[in-house]
Amino acid sequence: MKSVLGDRKAIVLLLTPALLVYTLIMLVPVLWSLGLTFFEGSPLGGFEFAGFDNFIRLFSDSAVWEALWFTIRYAILVTLFQVVLGYGLALLYNFVLRKSSVLVRTLVFFPVVLPTVAVSLLYQKIFQSAPTDGLVNELLVNVGLGSVDWLGAGTTAFVVIVIMDVWRSIGFYGILIFSGLLDIPDEIIESSRLDGASGFRLFRHIVLPMSLPIVFASFIFSINGTIKVFDSVFALTGGGPGDSTTPLTLYMYRTAFQYSDYGYGSTIALLLTMICLVVTLFIFRSSRRDITS
Amino acid sequence: MSTITRGLRRIPALLTIAFLILITAYPLFWMFINSLKSNSDFLNNPSYALPEVWTWENYVTGWETANLSTTIVNSIIVTFPALILLVLFGTAAGYALEVLVFKGRGTILLLFLAGIMIPGQMIVLPLFTASFNIGITGSLLPLILIYTATGLPLTVFMMATYFRAIPREIFEASTIDGASMTRAFFSIGMPMMRNAILTVAIVQFFQIWNDLLFALIFAGQRKLNTIQVGLLNFSGEYGSINYGPLFAAICITVGGILVLYLVLNQQIIKGLAAGAVKG
Amino acid sequence: MSTATSRRSRKALIGVALVGASALALVGCSGGSGGGSAPSSFEFLKNSENTTTEPVLNVLADGECKAENEKLPLEISSQPQADLDSQVQLLASQGGLPPMFSAGGNPAEGAKLADADVLVDFDKALTDLGVRDKIAPGAVSTIEKLYGGGFDFLPFQYNIEGIWYNTKIFSDNGWEVPTTWDELLDVAAKAKAAGYTPFSASGEQGWPITRLISTYLFRELGPDAMQKIADGDAKLTDPEYVKAAAAIADLGAKGYFGDNVASLDIDGSYNLFLTGKSPMIYMGSWILGNINGADNQVGAENMSFFPFPAVEGGAGSIDQYPANVGLPATFSKAAYSDDVASWLGCIATNYGTEALKQGQITGFVADPSASADLPEISQKVQETIADSTDSVLWFEALFPAKASQISSTSAALLVTGQMSPEEFMSTVQDAIDNP
Repeated sequence: MKSVLGDRKAIVLLLTPALLVYTLIMLVPVLWSLGLTFFEGSPLGGFEFAGFDNFIRLFSDSAVWEALWFTIRYAILVTLFQVVLGYGLALLYNFVLRKSSVLVRTLVFFPVVLPTVAVSLLYQKIFQSAPTDGLVNELLVNVGLGSVDWLGAGTTAFVVIVIMDVWRSIGFYGILIFSGLLDIPDEIIESSRLDGASGFRLFRHIVLPMSLPIVFASFIFSINGTIKVFDSVFALTGGGPGDSTTPLTLYMYRTAFQYSDYGYGSTIALLLTMICLVVTLFIFRSSRRDITS
Repeated sequence: MSTITRGLRRIPALLTIAFLILITAYPLFWMFINSLKSNSDFLNNPSYALPEVWTWENYVTGWETANLSTTIVNSIIVTFPALILLVLFGTAAGYALEVLVFKGRGTILLLFLAGIMIPGQMIVLPLFTASFNIGITGSLLPLILIYTATGLPLTVFMMATYFRAIPREIFEASTIDGASMTRAFFSIGMPMMRNAILTVAIVQFFQIWNDLLFALIFAGQRKLNTIQVGLLNFSGEYGSINYGPLFAAICITVGGILVLYLVLNQQIIKGLAAGAVKG
Repeated sequence: MSTATSRRSRKALIGVALVGASALALVGCSGGSGGGSAPSSFEFLKNSENTTTEPVLNVLADGECKAENEKLPLEISSQPQADLDSQVQLLASQGGLPPMFSAGGNPAEGAKLADADVLVDFDKALTDLGVRDKIAPGAVSTIEKLYGGGFDFLPFQYNIEGIWYNTKIFSDNGWEVPTTWDELLDVAAKAKAAGYTPFSASGEQGWPITRLISTYLFRELGPDAMQKIADGDAKLTDPEYVKAAAAIADLGAKGYFGDNVASLDIDGSYNLFLTGKSPMIYMGSWILGNINGADNQVGAENMSFFPFPAVEGGAGSIDQYPANVGLPATFSKAAYSDDVASWLGCIATNYGTEALKQGQITGFVADPSASADLPEISQKVQETIADSTDSVLWFEALFPAKASQISSTSAALLVTGQMSPEEFMSTVQDAIDNP
């Protein structure tokens, strides 16, 4: 039987197109860029071999570590919110709303559709403090608290970024996990209901274990998105004020494309890729272990 | 259990739903009312107020400034071919890597997975250099290929995950009738994956449709502008923004997507319903 | 058997991958073959934010430059400002620059293009065409100061900067136009007491604030204050430089920029001024578009401008206006064919007059009659530019891109007290030292 599944022609035919496109357009350019980590210069002025200079610089550059710290804080918080709240939404769709969830699903999914430019303008206005107060400050003032210059300081701007990115992606995670919950056979849930399991116990012992694969997939997808956060920060705060909301990707982008230091930019990108790799392998491993157990 | 207590127990859920609808529907409303305001109205009055004067001309200005007659066509020309290639190649590879058996498939799967982590900024320069030298920078071809490639890792990974849930025997059995594994893929694999394909396609659609990073570099020429690039035309040189027409242009494009999404959503529901009856 | 097949297929795959890689590598090595041939259209790659150059060129293409346009049709493409410099450098490295393109929004990046010798030398080209006198000397001197000494860019815009003020508020309250820094502080204090935001400034953009620092420096230390920084003869951390940052930080501490200046965007800052909530705004003459526009509730007749005041005992003079050429455009050396040259000649001859008719002030010499229909305030600016003999630059003008970025994103922190003047100046100096 094994030889049937080892159909050589089928493997080549089905795998080659994807592998070819992927190799040519992603892997080769990545290797090309990795090569550049040993060089200094820009496309215009030409590249010069620099040995490990870029790596030495990476470790002594405080801006990199600040950006990394921002990226980590952001990635952990947003990923947690995305998956946990997304799971909550999926439970709501599947067990509370059931068949009538279409409209709610569509509406909650809607922010995903909006272009980043639109979302960031919306949040700038909602959290605006000058020249007039936006919606949030208006509410704060009405309950007796003072208005806050949300985007004027790093700590409060961080809060706005997190809220914005959770808001705009939660509908997507809701649907992603919902599609996983749908795959749990109704009979299993019914039979455990008959056994007296309900509410939290049903969730803890039946629903959660059976939806783990999709939860892990969501985690991998989410963390790789959040570690690479770029356009929402770029559009909302531009990394400021100062560099207080600058993630690694933005620092990399500026270094490579605005300061035209492509070699060092690639080195920062390499650091970023390594972090993604470690995190993903970690989740991948634990997911494999859980599925087999 | 009486109907009253059952009704009471639903209150938290209903409140949650009301809250959800409020925070997601509000922006729609916000964008629409602001698309009808003059710039001074937008700047001087709270942005949640209704327009002083309903400036419908914003839609004309917005359409022209964003060059929508060109950019919508370009976005479609780029997105759909990329999406079709992506789904076809990705599902096939997911099938090959998860259903078929050969040495090294774990490694190749990991290789694809690694692609999820590559920041797009890292491959821009080599790709631009290469496409310039091949001589395809004056067309949308580089974007189609790039979107196909950058979407593959996630598609392959998700498809492999979905195929893992299907017993291999189903595919083996089909070969008893003499079908090859390739035919089994098209006749059994693809149809079984209908839900998954739709989910992945929708995810990828929005990634491609809303991309700015590659579009900026490869579709900078005006005749190649995609919608997202066109939306940047509302910024002035010294940082000012032409708000009303910008929101109008966003409303036009988002409205189109919303219709498309509602149509597709019906498909998804049907697909999901079909999946739910599986034995 | 299954092992054998899989090994073979893996080999095949590796083979495919290698072929692909080497194909790309080969293509990569053959770079530079793209340029050199004469262009088939007069392509102008501009920053998408620039909406003023295109209408003028279109009029020229249908009128004075019709012959040139028939030979080599004008074709405009655009790239957002944020990505323009990198796109242009990529194109330059491939020999694929269009005949005319905007570049050098960050002068240091523009100077790199000049250094790489990919730009037309306008001194020579315009002299050859016999139209060298069509570019205003003041604009040429600004360009030379900005881009490393050569005349490699064309002044499709020419702006001077100063403090724009609401004459009605000034006269109603009996305030005199300040000519010294202390008088300016005095007016600001009175404005604050009267319930106005004395200076409208966008902290979100940052540069409207750092420009105050540099202009203060030019007044106090003389017009070469920032050149000394660029040359390494002085540091921003020197006490006389920190003093300027402290003076501006002090404006913030006294609340002269209003509350929440840090997140105020440029439209918001214009709006404070145009609705009479703020009597003064430091800005370049591009603000004329807004002053003469429909959203001005105060009325253009109630607005005027005065030069940044003198600092007592300072080496600079009040009539040295900060000047800039916006984001200028230039021509590619490789694509400079005869047909492109005749386009250049036609633009040099006619651009200034047509632009002025459309209310734009450029560094091209214009027929003075073209300004007859302009609002009074625009004519005043046009005259000031024509009469000015000396100009200075702005804070970030000679900084490398990184320092420039850091300076404008940190300015808001300086005026809200989140960063001390010493910290601000040393952060920027650090970025200058380690570009």
